[in-house]
Amino acid sequence: MLAEKALDLIRELKRTSGGTLPPFNEDKIRQVLEEVQTLFEQNRDTAKYAAEGQHDVLAAIQLRHAGIQRNKRCLLAYLYNRLENIRRMRWEFGSVLPADVKYNMCEHEVQWFNQYNRLLANYMRSIGESGGLDLTQDMKPPKSLYVLVRCLMDHGEFETQDGTVILLKKNSQHYLMRSECEHLIRQGVLEHIVQ
Amino acid sequence: MAANFTLDSNPDSYFSLDDILASQEKVPCTFNTQVSNMGYMDQSTTDTNIVSGTKLELPFWLAKSLDRGSRSIINIDTPKNYKEVYRQIFTADPNVVDLHKLGPYFYLFGGKLISLHLPDNDDIASVLLKTFQGRFRRIMDGSQNTLNVDLTSQVSLLDEQERLLFSAGQQGLHDFQKWETRESEKLSTSTMVANHRKRKRFVLSSKSS
Amino acid sequence: MDPSEVEFLAERELVKVIPNFTHDKIYLISGDVGPFSAGLPLPVPLWLAVNLKQRQKCRFVAPDWMDIDVLKEKKQEEADSRFFTPMPSPHYMEITQLLLQWGTDDIPKADEIRTLVKDIWDLRIAKLRSSIDVFVKSGESHAKLNYLTLMEINTVRLFLTKALNHMHQLKSVTSRDTTNSNSQAF
Repeated sequence: MLAEKALDLIRELKRTSGGTLPPFNEDKIRQVLEEVQTLFEQNRDTAKYAAEGQHDVLAAIQLRHAGIQRNKRCLLAYLYNRLENIRRMRWEFGSVLPADVKYNMCEHEVQWFNQYNRLLANYMRSIGESGGLDLTQDMKPPKSLYVLVRCLMDHGEFETQDGTVILLKKNSQHYLMRSECEHLIRQGVLEHIVQ
Repeated sequence: MAANFTLDSNPDSYFSLDDILASQEKVPCTFNTQVSNMGYMDQSTTDTNIVSGTKLELPFWLAKSLDRGSRSIINIDTPKNYKEVYRQIFTADPNVVDLHKLGPYFYLFGGKLISLHLPDNDDIASVLLKTFQGRFRRIMDGSQNTLNVDLTSQVSLLDEQERLLFSAGQQGLHDFQKWETRESEKLSTSTMVANHRKRKRFVLSSKSS
Repeated sequence: MDPSEVEFLAERELVKVIPNFTHDKIYLISGDVGPFSAGLPLPVPLWLAVNLKQRQKCRFVAPDWMDIDVLKEKKQEEADSRFFTPMPSPHYMEITQLLLQWGTDDIPKADEIRTLVKDIWDLRIAKLRSSIDVFVKSGESHAKLNYLTLMEINTVRLFLTKALNHMHQLKSVTSRDTTNSNSQAF
């Protein structure tokens, strides 16, 4: 059947759950492109017979053309939905993606991510009064200036805004400014303790 | 949060995964003309050509693009699940029907069928709406049930779009309950990070065992 | 919206507190508050009330409606009425939640109040669900509901908008014109 392989790509994304990115399926994409190339060449080579009024050839051209369009839609949807997922990851993981996620991205996706990162950083620097506004912060209305946190893992040294250096060691507890540690909480390094 | 790739749930979108999958559902077609060199699409024959009169199940997108009204190279028939017999079952008791088995894109695909100008178009259109109206209360009440009740058997009967609706209902309830118990005051690990960790731990533990 | 955002909006509502300190008027972007004199009740925004209470700087004064008899009557009225009845505060749920979280000692019969408010909430949510079902079954495209509060609307927002969207898609299929149907060909 026409455009079966392209559909495999779509099924692959549909199966994927949040927080993961399947390996960029270069092989399958190449196979789809080859199918498109074949269909295109067949149409080009038979076009003159259709122009002479051979109806069975004209019908075949219609069929193959639909196959080309379908393949195109599947490929574009594959690329687009992956990019959307990568964009969302910037907001959830922060500016550095986990190694295994990065490993599954193709060269162009890595480039796109870096550019998106830069664009977002520039934009956030440009708004707000002085020093910009971090849009990835305060995802919920903040309740207090300081929060109590516990380290879920060893994270090394951390310098607070007033210059104090504290050691984020597993199971240690700290009283930190909310704005300073919200990212670390979202990334699962710290746990917020509500009294 | 819906742990799914489909961010853009608008099924009209060119990039919508659901729309692409729904348009892959098959419709019974009969060829009016010979089609040269496309015989490989019919696995029941070794002919090089598709001969006139061949019956084939084609995916919706292909049938739709060949559909040219009376001058069309194919005739399209109503798929089995949308025929009179099934339409009666849906209207008789919409709640017991396993739309996932009959779908899983019962509504989305059904809506697409309408654009093919089948003879029973009006009946298909009205059964889509009536089926949803009949099932709505169950979906709403089920999704508002307390979270610790096992809902898998109910959800398994839902069509893909109904499932999205169901999880939207659960999300609303879940958010409210988290607020009520003051859990929403607590800053938490982002969903993606948590999922990613869980998966990694799973991969590690299955490697070591 | 997340319920915590609805709560944020509710925190602008004024509630009465009795401060245990004296201080001049303070000038805030959202308006002036004070002056505070120890022992004299005054209205302040809910967020400030909670903040003062957390630092043991004030006692809460329960709003007039936060009273067993008033709430019992309200509950009965809500149960008897087919429609939604007006609530004593557009943020009754959030105010109850916050005052009772931080000031059980200041609010008489806090537990009974908590239960009554929750009963009223449950009655209203059940009513809301039935109205939504009637609405969907009727196939109408619009309906008017009075006196719903933001928090109530918010709990069904995601579900309801999705459901109505789905209905709309199904109906636009019925009403056609299918020649320029919005479904993709490929």
